[in-house]
Amino acid sequence: MNVQISRLRGLAALCGLFASLSVWAVEDNAALVKQGEYVARAADCAACHRTVEKGGAALSGGYAIDSPMGRIISSNITPSKAYGIGDYTEQQLADAVRKGVNAKGQNLYPAMPYTSYQGMSDADIHALYAYLQQGVKAVDIPVEPTQLAFPFNIRPLMFGWNLLFLDTQGFVPEAGADAQQVRGQYLVDNLAHCGACHTPRNALMAEDNSRYLSGAELGGWIAPNITSDKATGVGSWSADELVGFLKNGHVTNKAQAAGGMAEAVEHSLRFLTDDDLHAMASYLKTVPAIATGNHVASHPREVTPIDMTTLETGQGDQASLVDASETDGARLYNSACASCHGRDGQGTVDAFYPSLSQNSALTGQHVNNLVMAIIEGIDRKGADLEVNMPALGDDLNDQQIAAIANYSLQRFGNPLLSVDEQTVAKWRRGGDAPLLVTAMPYVMWGGGLLLLVLIVWALVVRSKRRRVRAIEAKKIALNRRFHSR
Amino acid sequence: MNQVFDADVIVVGSGALGSNAAFELAKHGKSVIILEAGEHIPRWKIVENFRNSSNKSNYNSPYPNEPWARNSYDEQYIENTGSFEFRPGMLKLVGGTTWHWAAACWRYLPNDMKLKTLYGVGRDWPMEYSELEPYYARAEVALGVCGSDTQDQSGHDGEAFPPRSTPYPMPPEGDTYLFQRLRARLAPAGYVFLHEPNGRATTPYDGRPACSGNNNCMPVCPIGAMYSGDVHAKHAQQAGAKLLTDATAYKLEKGEGGKIVAVHYRSSKGDDVRLTAKYFVVAANGLETPKLLLISDVANSSDQVGRNLMDHTGQGLQFLADEPVWPGRGAVQQGGIFNRRDGEFRKERASVKHAFANNVPNMAVAQRLIEQGVFGKELDERIRHDAARWVDVSTVYETLPLATNTIRPSTTRTDALGIPMMVVNYEVDDYVKAAKPGVDADYADFVKIMGGTVVEDNTGWQNRDHLMGTVIMGSDAKDSVVNHECRTFDHPNLFLATTGVIPASGTINPTLTGVALSIRLADIIAREV
Repeated sequence: MNVQISRLRGLAALCGLFASLSVWAVEDNAALVKQGEYVARAADCAACHRTVEKGGAALSGGYAIDSPMGRIISSNITPSKAYGIGDYTEQQLADAVRKGVNAKGQNLYPAMPYTSYQGMSDADIHALYAYLQQGVKAVDIPVEPTQLAFPFNIRPLMFGWNLLFLDTQGFVPEAGADAQQVRGQYLVDNLAHCGACHTPRNALMAEDNSRYLSGAELGGWIAPNITSDKATGVGSWSADELVGFLKNGHVTNKAQAAGGMAEAVEHSLRFLTDDDLHAMASYLKTVPAIATGNHVASHPREVTPIDMTTLETGQGDQASLVDASETDGARLYNSACASCHGRDGQGTVDAFYPSLSQNSALTGQHVNNLVMAIIEGIDRKGADLEVNMPALGDDLNDQQIAAIANYSLQRFGNPLLSVDEQTVAKWRRGGDAPLLVTAMPYVMWGGGLLLLVLIVWALVVRSKRRRVRAIEAKKIALNRRFHSR
Repeated sequence: MNQVFDADVIVVGSGALGSNAAFELAKHGKSVIILEAGEHIPRWKIVENFRNSSNKSNYNSPYPNEPWARNSYDEQYIENTGSFEFRPGMLKLVGGTTWHWAAACWRYLPNDMKLKTLYGVGRDWPMEYSELEPYYARAEVALGVCGSDTQDQSGHDGEAFPPRSTPYPMPPEGDTYLFQRLRARLAPAGYVFLHEPNGRATTPYDGRPACSGNNNCMPVCPIGAMYSGDVHAKHAQQAGAKLLTDATAYKLEKGEGGKIVAVHYRSSKGDDVRLTAKYFVVAANGLETPKLLLISDVANSSDQVGRNLMDHTGQGLQFLADEPVWPGRGAVQQGGIFNRRDGEFRKERASVKHAFANNVPNMAVAQRLIEQGVFGKELDERIRHDAARWVDVSTVYETLPLATNTIRPSTTRTDALGIPMMVVNYEVDDYVKAAKPGVDADYADFVKIMGGTVVEDNTGWQNRDHLMGTVIMGSDAKDSVVNHECRTFDHPNLFLATTGVIPASGTINPTLTGVALSIRLADIIAREV
């Protein structure tokens, strides 16, 4: 009897143990999936792997990334076995993310930022895998295939490109960095892949690490210099301002996120913990200053509202009410912009409508973001606010946009800057095509030679780089901008 | 033999209703041509026109009034033969009259649609509320409507009503101070206040910024927070529809089997064009639609085209409250009092809605004071004083479809294209008049409770610009122009997207209902074409 009872007790205890073990396992797994979701947020997978229509099923892809080489269609990364990554092993996911090779062994185009993700930790890959397999709803819908024009449709070309530009040594923390800065570096370089936009690209469309984070033009927009340069970078920003910008997408009397940065804030950065955002800010403050261009210091300016009686001169005839060919910047600004930003360009006291005289889009070195914000508007959810500036690109022609930009720069912003109609037109089209694309018709004459040259060059450069890296490793603390190689 | 058409569907009119129908059809992959009598004018240009206008209280003045595309305040546009001067503020440009509306987006109550059955007056709708409900939901998404999911919109202070399958796309805006003060003092006396669901974004929506209270909904929202039909004119074009401006339709051409085979349009440049399609949607508002049918001699076997003209004929009250209530902050209207929206009383008299106008009143205040001979420093002080205390009640009445309230093509006047202009005959009937004593009693009560000084409490009957009944919907081809699908009884491929189909007016602004019906008819056409 006693024996039986004790056996039963033992059995009960054993059952209890198993039960609690499985509870642990479930909790553990839930935590892992949650951690993976955070990794996916930080890596902003959703930015590209979204649907064509806004609000479609998460991560089911189909969205076309307009690359200079053509439209690259983002893949379905839901756990759909037929159309997604439901059959992927963790290693296959790791290879796709870090090496740019899918489960079929095909090379991905570097629109997938695997050159940044290559440093993603095993722990983060593990969590990401758990999330993508278990935390995402499978969507059994195929995406249309990416079809680039020759020669970009030859995926094996990427093999040579990868030899040249894909680092495989993983994440290497800066020497002498503290734990917060190391975390920040990991986030900036690997998960958040800031360099994908903020580091200029070389002739073969790879990030030029000699100009690490010093700003680049992208689809008409400027991803600004975010090195610690005081005049042309973000060296004059406090850590709190950087954190506020990443989290909310705006800092009063300084800057607002628009274009791709607005998307980064909305889909990724606003979800990061304060600790992680502070880590990113802390690291960015250590990025070696690179001065770009001749910055013209811009001070808050005394701006007097324009005398409206000079603009409101009464209605003309009926035909004039339909005639939208106005090219006077003052009139256009006051009709199209002043309802929010004010006749004096000062926005509102609470800065919900930002000032135009203390605003990096008008007081920096470039007119791009002013012009692009007018054309495309701004649509951004930050941690604190959701804002929209209507897109006026359909309501104003290039000449009118140039007139508004020039009026605003003269009256509120950096009066040394200006823009002409042709430049507005070019940015509206998405900016200059890179050399790789514009040179292609000529390069094509070389035909297969190109491939050969690329591969030989890759091998040569790579061996050279290996030698260089050995030396570089020693002076890494001095020259930290090479850290991500 | 396969006939070649210019389009699957031609939509006449690019306002909120026509553009929504066109967008839905284009989304379904149908080829669509939209004809618009006016032009496309960008918002900034309309703002400029408004600022340059010397007559800011004329909401049509920022908009063109061309001899070939007249807006309704043109003296020539409507000749009135009845005792009531019927003159709604309709526009002709891409996007239509929703360029200047107050964006009220109410749903009808189930009872509104069974007026004859329940109360023995007017007409029933040929469908139930539940049939329209899913399309209300889609229309609210299309227009980006903000509203309260908890209020009883029947005005009986009960549970949330009418039934909704989906929540409002956006939460309501905050209560204005004016609304708060009026409710705080009038609600205890039993007046039921409701928030007005409206097509103003309260968060960024479909490319529109959130409303920031420019208080300029009429004549133009300077930032596009308020919905206007140009939104869907643009969406339709992006979805593949072709928009032709300066193209006034003047004839629907009949073919074999009762079908419409072509529409003819003219431009100010002298073009005269015939376009063919498989289906036609006329969305030219509640006056121009029956006019086009009548001058084309189509769809009128019932003799009801152009009859049963209804507006929510109204009256107004202005008074100065005994405390500053600060009208003019936020949108131009936010809601009102709905005790008289529905009940047994509708057997004898019209239902009624009191809305509170929230316009900046300085102009009206100053004009009144100057007329009283107040000048100089005193004028400044009095403007400040009175403008803070100004209360403006805008009341609307339900009206019944009367065959004698008509819109007809003029036999004597034509526009620059040679197309007849209009003659309207409109009388206010006893059903409306029977409700007036109740309204007058409410007015006296409002003034008393608010410690008010009356400015004007005898405005006479006023226009409310809600055009209904003129191509009336019903279940019988003998007494109605369209069936429940908005399909004309006479022509199986001719649909009407206009509030003119509405057979029972209720007291609520009809645009949302019109958009819901337009989306519905587009679904029907898309299945057939």
